[in-house]
Amino acid sequence: MHDAATHDDSKGQYFWVWGALLVLTAVEVWLGYKQVFQPVAMLEVLLGLSVIKSALIIAYFMHLKFESAIMRWTLTISVVACFVIMYLFFFPDAGRILRLGVK
Amino acid sequence: MADATLQHDSVQHGIRGEFEAPLFGAYSKKVGMWLFLASDSLTFGALLVAFSYNRISNPAWPTPFAKESIINSTIMTACLLSSSLTMVMAVFAAQRGDKLWLRNWLFATMGFGTAFIVLHGMEWSKLIGEGMTPFKNPWVPTVPQFGGTFFTLTGMHMLHVTVGVIYLGVIALRKMFLPILGALWLAGYFLIPASNVFHYGVHALLIGLIVSAVILFLKPKVYDAHDVEVAGLYWHFVDLVWMFIFPLVYLMSTKIV
Amino acid sequence: MATTATLHSHAPQGFIRKYIFSLDHKVIGLQYFFLALTAVWVGMFLSLLMRIHLVWPTASLPLVGEIKPEMYLSLLTMHGTIMVFFVLTTAPQGGFGNYVLPIQIGAPDMAFPVLNMLSFWTTFVGFVVILAAFFVSGGAPLHGWTGYPPLSAVQSAGPGEGLGADLWITSIAIFCAASLMGALNFITTTLDLRAKGMTLMRMPLTVWSWFITAILGLLAFGVLLSAGILLLMDRNLGTSFYVPLIVVNGQIMGHKGGSPLLWQHLFWFFGHPEVYIAILPGMGVTSQVLSTFSRKPIFGYKAMVYAMLSIGFLGFMVWGHHMFMSGMSPYSAFAFSLLTMCIGVPSAIKTFNWLGTMWKGRIRFYTPMLFAIGFVSLFVSGGLSGPFLAQPVLDIQLHDTYFVVGHFHLIMGVAAIFGIFAATYYWFPKMFGRMMNESWGKAHFWLTFIGTYAIFMPMHYLGMAGGTRRYSQYTEVAYLQRLMPIHTFMTYAAIITIASQFIFVINLFWSMFKGPKASDNPWESTTLEWTTATPPPHDNFGGRTPVVKHGPYEYGVPGAAKDFIMQTDPATTPAH
Repeated sequence: MHDAATHDDSKGQYFWVWGALLVLTAVEVWLGYKQVFQPVAMLEVLLGLSVIKSALIIAYFMHLKFESAIMRWTLTISVVACFVIMYLFFFPDAGRILRLGVK
Repeated sequence: MADATLQHDSVQHGIRGEFEAPLFGAYSKKVGMWLFLASDSLTFGALLVAFSYNRISNPAWPTPFAKESIINSTIMTACLLSSSLTMVMAVFAAQRGDKLWLRNWLFATMGFGTAFIVLHGMEWSKLIGEGMTPFKNPWVPTVPQFGGTFFTLTGMHMLHVTVGVIYLGVIALRKMFLPILGALWLAGYFLIPASNVFHYGVHALLIGLIVSAVILFLKPKVYDAHDVEVAGLYWHFVDLVWMFIFPLVYLMSTKIV
Repeated sequence: MATTATLHSHAPQGFIRKYIFSLDHKVIGLQYFFLALTAVWVGMFLSLLMRIHLVWPTASLPLVGEIKPEMYLSLLTMHGTIMVFFVLTTAPQGGFGNYVLPIQIGAPDMAFPVLNMLSFWTTFVGFVVILAAFFVSGGAPLHGWTGYPPLSAVQSAGPGEGLGADLWITSIAIFCAASLMGALNFITTTLDLRAKGMTLMRMPLTVWSWFITAILGLLAFGVLLSAGILLLMDRNLGTSFYVPLIVVNGQIMGHKGGSPLLWQHLFWFFGHPEVYIAILPGMGVTSQVLSTFSRKPIFGYKAMVYAMLSIGFLGFMVWGHHMFMSGMSPYSAFAFSLLTMCIGVPSAIKTFNWLGTMWKGRIRFYTPMLFAIGFVSLFVSGGLSGPFLAQPVLDIQLHDTYFVVGHFHLIMGVAAIFGIFAATYYWFPKMFGRMMNESWGKAHFWLTFIGTYAIFMPMHYLGMAGGTRRYSQYTEVAYLQRLMPIHTFMTYAAIITIASQFIFVINLFWSMFKGPKASDNPWESTTLEWTTATPPPHDNFGGRTPVVKHGPYEYGVPGAAKDFIMQTDPATTPAH
């Protein structure tokens, strides 16, 4: 039934991933609550941690790590590319609203 | 939904020899779910981008979330993360053919999901009680976007969690889940006071009841390990989205005491 | 389990299961086709009303009376929305893609037949909802198919901006859901259900084009869905995503601090890929038809595939060229301009490959071939004005003039329609088992071809002379008044072109019942749909799965017995 029998299916690794996710969440909460960084740096750090967390979820829980390479790369690249170009072109305009005072 | 796959003889009976090997090396239902998730991640992505866009152009963003809100939302996060682990266990049980533990792990997952919804519902009610609506908030009146983005993002996510719990319930119990869902809907409708927004929000369960009844009527089948795995993909995705909403919406708006 | 399997491998009995809620991709494809045919007549009727109003603004017309400026804007909005969503997206992809793609790759059906049926019926509901906008109080919305806020986001902004605009957004959201279901079905089918030997590089270019279109749809429609949800919230819950502080009719609205630019970004992030969703299937059909009727292999098959892939890829990075005049960052405008110019490269590759395919071919001028050549012609004339508009400096002059209207109507309107016509004339024998009338087809082609050029070419001059679009009357403005003879000419051309579409419809329905019977392969074509019976049986190949041994376009191969080798023909020994 299970068609990805080639990889190590030990349950232990899922507990490790789960533990890592909880720890990362705790770090995020600590950073957020103590307001360790200024807003923009804070945003970058938090989003960086979130990307790591989602990568763990996708790779292990959603099993993408064990799928075929072509599926892995097609899905990841197409979705990530969309976000990257959104990021590159949307946010300069949001900043311009501030600088130009268009409200 | 996921059960609507091709029933043609050759595919049904696994005679893959007549076809080229699938390009992604996975069965069709899984590929279909992944494609749906790719699209859904862009739907959420666009909402998150809209949130960030408004956030950047309004520097005086409110920061109302004090200790109890942060604790509450951290517990919610832990619930979702743990539900992902139990979901993984459910998939393993399904692959072993262990019906009892499949059901148990699915129940655990649904339990965590329900806990998340309830906690989040209480959080919503609290914020609404403090005077927050989609178009205004009591903290910084010049930034009406705060309420709008909060309710849109978390509302959309809550809807996805609700759909996920119903999906898992149908996978676990099939027809037997329908009366439970109906009971939950009625209980929610009568127990939640009419002044609360969830008095009406609970009708999402009724819609879920109707849709799952139709699906169970059209395609009565025993769900196999593949169906469980595909449901798991959806569930993990809902977890994943929260990993972005939680820091953006909550942690970027913590209240310094 | 066994019962469901047998249930689906035999044709369902009973009218409702067979023709209404059918799971057969061929029936669903025809349902999409006829839905689009209905929609195109509605859209065309609206454009006729607009053209007549522009020339005779005070005339009282049958059915609608005298057209007021607000009503003109409603007509414009509904014409655009219906044409883009329910014709250009529905017919080539939902209609022909659904009917032909599984047969061309040797599959018995789509990968998810139930989802396929749901996708059609969801589209149908979306169409009904958008038509309902005509009949509610206030009428249809005024904000154009792009729905820019604040006009689209404030209920009191105009007569159609009440319930009509809500219905408009709801319809689009429903259409998004339907397209997502369709798109993931197309992709999965192409990935998983190709017959033995149908490797990726043996897929007909039509299959490639539908496949790439589906990928674009999958990634683009999700974004439009959220944009629409936010717009609905702005309208009905008082949020301020898109609406800054504004005053309507002397009243300050409750909104504050939103940005209309956000909607434009989100909308065009979907909107530009949508343009390629409309045109890519036409490119695929044109490649297929040109190769078949030139009796030559397609020139540069791999280049065609990579050109389509790069058009799809670049199509996601150029949305800002719709927004040069919106107050977007000028640095972004620079990047968008450059990327937009880049699309010219794969487009030119395709054009020259089409010309190369026809070069020294033994061309058979049947109607589908004429329409395919017409597609190439329109693609060139419409495409050449693209590099003009891609430059921010020129766009300052040309933005919101008839130049833009002429540009996009030629390239994505009429060219895509010519792709649909080519597909209709080409696959009609397979779909209905009868041939269409050639003389009527040729008459239809020449009238439409000359007619559309006569309508849309003058628009370029009009635009360069400063003729603004979206105005309901030009007779009252001195400098625009002097352009009125051009408008009059275009209106007469439109009336003649629309009249000539009756030739097509009569030919279509007459041939469906009275046309001469078609053989299994009337065009002597090579792809898999011509190896099966006409019309194809319920599971497409009568219980067997074809084995593919050849590329898709092996025409005029030296040493072969015939001038074409079907994809399933036994493998040949090398030429003697």
